[in-house]
Amino acid sequence: MAEDLTMTNLDNEDTQKDKYLTFHLAGEDYGIEIRYVIEIIGIQNITEVPDMPSFIRGVINLRGKVIPVMDVRARFNLSDRDYDDRTCIIVVNVEGTEVGLVVDEVSEVADIPENHVEPPPKTSKDSEGSYIQGMGKINNDVKILLDVHKLLYSGEMQELSASLDEQ
Amino acid sequence: MSMQIDDDQIEIIQEFVTESRDMIEQLEPAIIELGQNSDPETINAIFRLFHSMKGSAGFLEFDHLTRVAHAAENLLDLIRNKEIELVPDHVNLLCASCDFAKEALDMIESDYNDDSMVSAADDISEKLHQAIERGKNPELQAAEEDAPKAPAPTSQALSVDNAEAAEDGFPQMEITEEMRLSFVQEGNELLQNAEQGLLLWGESPEDKDSLGEVFRHIHSFKGNCGFFGFSDLEKLSHQMENILDRAKSGSKLAVDNPADQLLASLDILQQGINNISEGKTDSINNLHDHIEDLNRLVAPLLGDFLVEEGVLEEAISTAVQTQKKPVGEILIQQGSASKEQIDTALKKQLDNLNKAKAEVKPAARTKTPAKRQDIRVELGKLDNLINLIGELVIAENMLIHNPDLKGLELENFNKAGQHMSKLVRELQEMAMTIRMIPVSGLFRRMIRLVHDISVKAGKKVDLQLIGEETEIDKTVIETITDPLVHLLRNSLDHGLETPAERVATGKNEKGTVRLSARHEEGEVWVTIEDDGRGLNRAKILEKAISKGLIEGDGSDLTEKQINNLIFAPGFSTAAQITDISGRGVGMDVVKRNLEKIKGKIDVNTTPGKGTRITLRIPLTLAIIDGMIVRVGTTTCIVPTLSILEAYRPEMDQITITPDGAELARVRENFFPIVRLHEILDKEPDSRNLSDGILIVLEYLDSRFCLFIDEILGQQQTVIKGLSDFIGTVPGVSGCTILGDGGVSLILDVGTLVESADSKKLDSEDVE
Repeated sequence: MAEDLTMTNLDNEDTQKDKYLTFHLAGEDYGIEIRYVIEIIGIQNITEVPDMPSFIRGVINLRGKVIPVMDVRARFNLSDRDYDDRTCIIVVNVEGTEVGLVVDEVSEVADIPENHVEPPPKTSKDSEGSYIQGMGKINNDVKILLDVHKLLYSGEMQELSASLDEQ
Repeated sequence: MSMQIDDDQIEIIQEFVTESRDMIEQLEPAIIELGQNSDPETINAIFRLFHSMKGSAGFLEFDHLTRVAHAAENLLDLIRNKEIELVPDHVNLLCASCDFAKEALDMIESDYNDDSMVSAADDISEKLHQAIERGKNPELQAAEEDAPKAPAPTSQALSVDNAEAAEDGFPQMEITEEMRLSFVQEGNELLQNAEQGLLLWGESPEDKDSLGEVFRHIHSFKGNCGFFGFSDLEKLSHQMENILDRAKSGSKLAVDNPADQLLASLDILQQGINNISEGKTDSINNLHDHIEDLNRLVAPLLGDFLVEEGVLEEAISTAVQTQKKPVGEILIQQGSASKEQIDTALKKQLDNLNKAKAEVKPAARTKTPAKRQDIRVELGKLDNLINLIGELVIAENMLIHNPDLKGLELENFNKAGQHMSKLVRELQEMAMTIRMIPVSGLFRRMIRLVHDISVKAGKKVDLQLIGEETEIDKTVIETITDPLVHLLRNSLDHGLETPAERVATGKNEKGTVRLSARHEEGEVWVTIEDDGRGLNRAKILEKAISKGLIEGDGSDLTEKQINNLIFAPGFSTAAQITDISGRGVGMDVVKRNLEKIKGKIDVNTTPGKGTRITLRIPLTLAIIDGMIVRVGTTTCIVPTLSILEAYRPEMDQITITPDGAELARVRENFFPIVRLHEILDKEPDSRNLSDGILIVLEYLDSRFCLFIDEILGQQQTVIKGLSDFIGTVPGVSGCTILGDGGVSLILDVGTLVESADSKKLDSEDVE
């Protein structure tokens, strides 16, 4: 019984390996590892929370769970864009914390084998370079693969939680 | 113990640890009680607890814990058999044993063995042995004299080998588990049959057959008990046998039908058997009382009274031998007693019978109560259940008030909807009660604390516990444990005077501290009350001024405000820091913890008479009554508990001070105004105060007005935390999901005051 379970878990890991959920954001294609993704929902009413960094748009009700929502555009300091019916919230779970990510449009689940992933450009002085896990190539397309953990916690959020810890 | 410990064993160990912790928790107050009155029942209870701990620990091979429990058990056994006089030292020693056991349990929980407790175990068991030795030597002879029934385990009690420690609690005889089982089984059968017979006899007292049967059953039961050495059971059944014998031979009993009394005794025997089957001792609580009760059933014999009246004993016995006629008549015939003597004697007999009838408790049947069934549930599961039910409440709201249904005539749907609402409501209430536990556990823990402190501080204290059965949410109980400890310490250390001072002021030498819990105004009130010297306002003011906690000389402060100064961090009027209190941390803890659970603190004090501190705690943490308010497009929830009133202000009620702060006049008082739209950084409908609504809020003792656009309604809201990712947000204590599925923030009245203050400061800086 126990063995069966571990087997299925292994299978799951296997099927999730090298798979990325890709989405559009301001003309670029991005990808995040599929194992973090819980679900994709349409944009919905977001309740604002005071005293938050600008990219934390607020909280939403996900079937009784209250989860914070981050606007990835604002996170990358890209220009604001009105939400429309293609705007999606990707709900990710990083180490038990669920967060919604607002993106322009979700495209597909893509298979990008390890040998098609290049390390992130080291030269980039841009602050967003730190969120990049690698550059994935599918044929001639390039997908920017994001490190979800860093996306959530590096930069301002880190400072925020650090200041909370001090309190 | 070096072998691999498998999961099963770990589970058993964990169970053992939780169980033992529970036991110790029960044990402690009992031990303290022991110091005050050495009631045999209490001693037995403590003995049983140590005994079961020893048994389980022995089984799991926690040798050191076993050793200490065994030594403590020995001491208690000797005290129980009155071979050792109980002295306060023993109480302290037993408390120390409890502390040791707690530590050992912590160790076992983390390492699955208690090897590191060797030296502590040596220390404690050595002390226990010394106590046994000391208690024993001066009274060794006396002990031997008055212990004919239960031979004291003198010989082996002193040699506390680990191997022996696991041995059973009946040192007199070797009883195998098998024997014990068959005894229990047979005993059960005998008692059951006896009960049936007694019931039959009770219905038709003439039925001598059933009586004889009862007698036989009880007789065999007595024999079994005697054989196994269950002396208490034996004594009681023997007494029953006596009575049955009398009833059988037709003598009068004090009551016409003693069956009820006998049934009650049967129940006690049954209880004894139950105890034995659970591996406990056979000791019966209040054995003596029970036997006395039975004794009263026995009608005093005429002869006894005749002797009293001066009739010769010999004559009576001749008379008794002739027996055919009533004793009185025979005696008169024989001329050995006058008619008057007999009459008086008969009258006496009758009186005595009546008296006995009155004394015998009317059918004091205490049927062994149905065993309460408890199951241990992981708290996490329970919380999940309660969360789910909270969501169900929301889902139900969304369904019943679904916008799609608007304008439709749905008679049946509405009926079904109402029914569901009712069920959901009930389910919710039920779920909330699951989390509620009586405060008695918490209160009883304080007994130990009070005992320790009173010894240390050299004060005499009578701790009274009231309303122990009041139920409070488990989390709340955990949160108020520390505050209670601090408050009690303060009461004992600062509040109560020393015995000498108390006598000098005409008070009872023994101080009284009353700890009570009750439901009041939709809250739970936990009150700590002492009859000590009360708060010294002058001293508090002086200290507060010197610490710069208040401005000016404090003459403008109300009594309440002065009392509340004691909750400031670092505040202490104690001239000296003792090891009990004086650092000024305690009251700050009290305040902070109470804030966490949205509780309030009331302080009442009368100099020279005492202090009363009331902790007012909302009934439940998970659900609050909230007022839904709107600012611009945002809706927020304000806890109804903090709302005093709400009104639409007139411009002439508003005063603006030179430094720009806005004050609203509410009758005779002026309260600062906090604009919610500024805190949330939103655009309100209107910035004009007279266009909106002011809600007067109270927090601790400060009041302020919150300016909003509109009140939308009132709702029971299920509190949810904001995500960990967001952390704490100033001004917001959590959020809830409204009927339409949207999320709404719950305002934190406490931090609103502070953020309002800081905003005010900022604006002053700009100026």
